[in-house]
Amino acid sequence: MNSQNNDMGLIVKTMARVTIPLIGIFGAYVIAHGHLTPGGGFQGGATVAGAGVLFLIAFGLSETKNRINKTLYSALEGIGGLVFLAMGMLGFGVAFFYNTLWREGPVFNGEPGSLLSAGYLPIMNLAVGLKVYTGLVSALFAMALFRRWKK
Amino acid sequence: MNALPWLIITPLFGAFSMPILGLLGRKVREYWAVIISGFTFAIAARIFYGIWRSNEILLYTLGDVTPIGEGVKFPIRIIWEVDLFGALLALTVTFVSFLAIVYSLGYMKEDSGLDKYYTLVLLLELGMLGIVITGDIFNFYVFLEIMSIASYVLVAFRNETWEGIEAGIKYMFVGSLASSFILLGIALLYGQYGTLTMAYLAVKIAENPTLVSRVALAFLIGGLLFKSGAVPVHMWLSDAHPAAPSSISAMLSGLVIKVGGVYAIARIVFGIFNPGLHEYLKALGAPSIAVNTLGWAIIFFGCLTLIVGNAMAVIQTDMKRLFAFSSVGQIGYILLGIGIGVVAYGEKAGEIALTGAVYHIVNHAVIKALLFFVAGAVIHQVGTKNLNELSGLARRMPFTTLSFLIGAAAIIGLPPLNGFASKWLIYESSAMYNPILAVIAVIGTVFSLAAYTRVLFTFLGIESERVKTATEPGKTMLIPMLLLVGVIILMGLLPWQINEKVMLPVAKMLEQLKGEYIMALVKFMGGV
Repeated sequence: MNSQNNDMGLIVKTMARVTIPLIGIFGAYVIAHGHLTPGGGFQGGATVAGAGVLFLIAFGLSETKNRINKTLYSALEGIGGLVFLAMGMLGFGVAFFYNTLWREGPVFNGEPGSLLSAGYLPIMNLAVGLKVYTGLVSALFAMALFRRWKK
Repeated sequence: MNALPWLIITPLFGAFSMPILGLLGRKVREYWAVIISGFTFAIAARIFYGIWRSNEILLYTLGDVTPIGEGVKFPIRIIWEVDLFGALLALTVTFVSFLAIVYSLGYMKEDSGLDKYYTLVLLLELGMLGIVITGDIFNFYVFLEIMSIASYVLVAFRNETWEGIEAGIKYMFVGSLASSFILLGIALLYGQYGTLTMAYLAVKIAENPTLVSRVALAFLIGGLLFKSGAVPVHMWLSDAHPAAPSSISAMLSGLVIKVGGVYAIARIVFGIFNPGLHEYLKALGAPSIAVNTLGWAIIFFGCLTLIVGNAMAVIQTDMKRLFAFSSVGQIGYILLGIGIGVVAYGEKAGEIALTGAVYHIVNHAVIKALLFFVAGAVIHQVGTKNLNELSGLARRMPFTTLSFLIGAAAIIGLPPLNGFASKWLIYESSAMYNPILAVIAVIGTVFSLAAYTRVLFTFLGIESERVKTATEPGKTMLIPMLLLVGVIILMGLLPWQINEKVMLPVAKMLEQLKGEYIMALVKFMGGV
């Protein structure tokens, strides 16, 4: 088996086709409900990254290489950080990290327990989730691409 | 509007936007890093000037206007509490980081992966700024980790060299262990007192100084001595500094070991376990912590550090390793100053020692940054840092030689330069407190003199084969060096004015004889 053909067997690949969307959706659920249920940006982001790792292992490096764009992932990670920082600065007139969305609205100020509540928290969870997902996937992909055992 | 949060927001924004702006090309990335760090320097200067003029501790609450929770009488939010000491260090950090980034433009030209490099340098700066402004002990830990992890990566940045990887691994293992000590100390304090705000923690500890708080103090000081490179645990430093790129060595040696090490020790000792407060409790017959013992422990490690560090510098053949050991030695002086400041708390000697320590932190940051820039220029232009192969660089690289001469003279402490005043204060106070300590300090300086005299011959001897084709480095490397030379000479010409106007108020504010650091918070609580 040469290094180009490093994917898994048919059963694993078929199962991966089924489970990757499920893991992705569950991860997205954990991120989106970070302010309501256990979990949040980091946990959900790591879960989604688990789907990425499954893809990398089941379909092999050469297939992954065609689908992961280093520049895009690096830029998305930066955007995740910037969104978090922007949310922190929303209520800057009062204080850094003042939750002005929650106290004055216009959105994300619903009844506590509903999805559109908790002010900047859901957005921060999304930003952290994006950052964690892109960061972990790029890190693992870079390690998988690292020069081979010898040479 | 309060400028303080911008000190964090600006480098954070720079670091997060770097991967996106980096797509526009190399020049944009470099200019962006220079602009961001220059802007941060301006903000730090403004904050320093504001606090210096008003002579008041600046307290900023994250998330609301007051740190006190609704319906309770204790602080529940993260606070940033900046006194003159923190502001002075923020100024030093931003100044040296700015110069290091400008220097990297020329120095790192041949390296790859520079989009990550500038992000990491900005994160390193961010971590250090966070440490100096925070008033919350867990927030302090988070910023300490940001700083540490960024520096682990930067030490191993040249991952095609064996020594980069080796030093990086050593630094990471040792540093993570030290960080976990600090985290353990914080966890113990939180378990016992239920608060993480430093000033409030000071109140709670004074009310009930338990064994747990003593153990936590030992863990915190132990971990921070690791980070500052005090002697039994200095081995990571002497590997990490030579292996890192020189612009990073300048930041590591000038800033990281001070901000993450001695600054934090001073802040924890004087802010949380204030000697005056516990002296007062003892006088009342209430249970208190024997801060004097701690002071003597710091003095002991300080003396050990300044002897061993400077003595080891004499026998090195590698220029950057020599400078690294010299940094260990200088940390010894600063620890000695802080230690005397603790044991002689409230006396004249203690105040002078603390002034000297603070002064030496700033001076050494400037001088050691210059010396590592010089070493970087030599490596970049000649291709070796082995002192046995180098000789007679003066004719080929006159400006670099001048910078080295000024830097070496300043670090030994020759009178017209800035190192003199700060060392003098430390000698004077140790002689006032205990002459044996002064003798030890002078012995350290003798070793230091011997070490730098050896390097002098590198620049002034007969021209060796290797240096025949050497030339001066480019403008982006020379300008930061000459700027630092200017600062050293300027600070050297006005030593006692700077001492009177800046360092003495800094030391007084750090010492907080009337508990100002605690009172700045208690004011919000309506008096307890």
